[in-house]
Amino acid sequence: MPSTNHQLPPRIKRIWGLSALGSLVALLVISGLLWLAHRYWDWSIWVPIFALILTVIEPLIEAGLIPYRYRFTRYHITDLAVEMQAGFIFQKRVAIPIARVQNVTLNAGPLLQWQKLTKVSIATASTSHDIEGLELAEAERLREQIMRLAQEARHDQA
Amino acid sequence: MTKPKRTHPLGLLQHIAKSIKDYWFLLILVLTSHDYTSIWFWGIMTILLVAFFIWPLAKWLTLTYVIAPDAIVVHSGVFVRHHEHIPYARIQTVQNKQWFYLRPFKLEEVLIETASHSDSAPEARLTAVPITVAQLINHYRQVATTAPTATDPQTDDSPATATEPAPVTATPQPAAYYQINYRDLVKFGLTSLIFIPFLLVLLGLYNKIPHKVADALIDDASHLGLTLLIGGAIVIVLIAWLGAFLWTLTRYYHFELSRSNHQLVAAKGLFQRNTVTAPLDRLQGVRIKQNILRQWLHLQTIQVLVASKAASDDDDNDLVVMPVIDNAIVYRTMQPFIQWLPSQQPDLSALRVARSWYQIRNTMLVVAVPIALLWWLWPSWGWLSLILLPIAALQGRFAAKNTAGALLSPKLLALQTGHFWERELYYIPTEKIQSMKVTRSIWMKRTHLAHLVVNIRHGNHNQAIELRYLHADAAHAIYDWYLHRT
Repeated sequence: MPSTNHQLPPRIKRIWGLSALGSLVALLVISGLLWLAHRYWDWSIWVPIFALILTVIEPLIEAGLIPYRYRFTRYHITDLAVEMQAGFIFQKRVAIPIARVQNVTLNAGPLLQWQKLTKVSIATASTSHDIEGLELAEAERLREQIMRLAQEARHDQA
Repeated sequence: MTKPKRTHPLGLLQHIAKSIKDYWFLLILVLTSHDYTSIWFWGIMTILLVAFFIWPLAKWLTLTYVIAPDAIVVHSGVFVRHHEHIPYARIQTVQNKQWFYLRPFKLEEVLIETASHSDSAPEARLTAVPITVAQLINHYRQVATTAPTATDPQTDDSPATATEPAPVTATPQPAAYYQINYRDLVKFGLTSLIFIPFLLVLLGLYNKIPHKVADALIDDASHLGLTLLIGGAIVIVLIAWLGAFLWTLTRYYHFELSRSNHQLVAAKGLFQRNTVTAPLDRLQGVRIKQNILRQWLHLQTIQVLVASKAASDDDDNDLVVMPVIDNAIVYRTMQPFIQWLPSQQPDLSALRVARSWYQIRNTMLVVAVPIALLWWLWPSWGWLSLILLPIAALQGRFAAKNTAGALLSPKLLALQTGHFWERELYYIPTEKIQSMKVTRSIWMKRTHLAHLVVNIRHGNHNQAIELRYLHADAAHAIYDWYLHRT
């Protein structure tokens, strides 16, 4: 069965954007706490300044990389294997034979639920690999397909 | 049918020993009070009594087991009851441990492990049971693994026939057998590098010496000069080495390996005889290992990787199937035991590192940080840390030179790596590979290189075997083959 390289649904970019925003908030809170530490416990002023610099830079990088992250994250399912690709600067490709798949888990945090997306984790006997976000229907279909193929593969072996 | 049985009362000793091992720190409490009349003292005594006697006793009383024809059932737990059912077909390894004091009673400890991730502890642990129990388990296990294919319709009466005769007739003649001789055992002990942890323990003890004594020692040492210091250091290393040697000797005493009915059985040990039984088709891979000493002496150690923690207290968490063997006869000796191994040293040049430079650079960068730190903290002594640089460079070169691998057949992949002067050669049946990964950075595109990672199950976790800085075409060839293989 030939199949094409799939990209993640475009809405995932919105979620990555929000998670960058989340990092910003978290880092702001940490910087605030460090400033309090400076104010009351006489910590060096450089600690909160450094944290603040980080607060600005980290979410910017995270947000800036979203188009690349989207562009280079792909998955691919054939009768024999699931393949995932990710990364631009550090590229990786993972191959998981369907015969080795132990279980497929769908889970979604509040953000993914809001966007009607779900994360798909494919676990083997030793490793676990994630597809970061898929449409619910697509994910269900994928799970059925992998589990069906996995069962067939197992029958063949035994 | 069979009623749940308790383990032998001697098993209680084992339970007590385990609680002492787990709660030894409670004994410190005794030192806090010497007043025999105070409530505090008696409170401590009660705690100790409960921790080291009543609790183990309760555990022993509540643990029962049944060796049924279809599964092993273990009931345990004092307040929370556990009922563990282990079907024979799911067992990965059975481990029998026999302490010397159990031998006269024909008892042993039996640990049964499956591939389940759930716990670091074995699925079932029977502290002192007659040795016939393990034989019975083994028997049912072989029935379970062979029956479904051959005698499917007769599943009803096969358990009946299995229970009727004496549990086990004479064990079948092994198809292959190996026993270590004293010369090899001594060689193995002498070339073991566990003297390094022993050395650390000795140094730790040095820290425990009261300051006055230590100062006095240093005073003396400064009078006596450098020769004595070096002499002392050598003596300490020798003591550690001897300790490690004796330790290895007792643990691998009378090592035996045999194969019968598609099972590998490895037995070893003087004070505690440790026997591990693993089915051959459950082996996740074979690892041939050489530390630096053994590389010089052309000796190798062979381990098998299994999907359970059976050998977690072995050195390096693996089941050793051949403690020490000469390079020249490795394959000839091992093939009768594990038949899918190649019959001679294969050619592993398909995957290799063309230029060592990248790994040398990386290891040197890694040590650059501590060197800079040392230089900054102790400017006058910092230059001494420069010695780390050539060591790191050599280490990088070692890693690069020892990276090798090849797809020997569609069923067997061989991968070799070098880490910290230890060479490891893995043979992995391709159907045991859980997943495979190729990674590269954009800079490696220009140099046309890639890293290859092969994931296999090992113990209760994943082992990633990483071959770094391979030629990209070679790495992708293996990866694509794996992705498209039928």
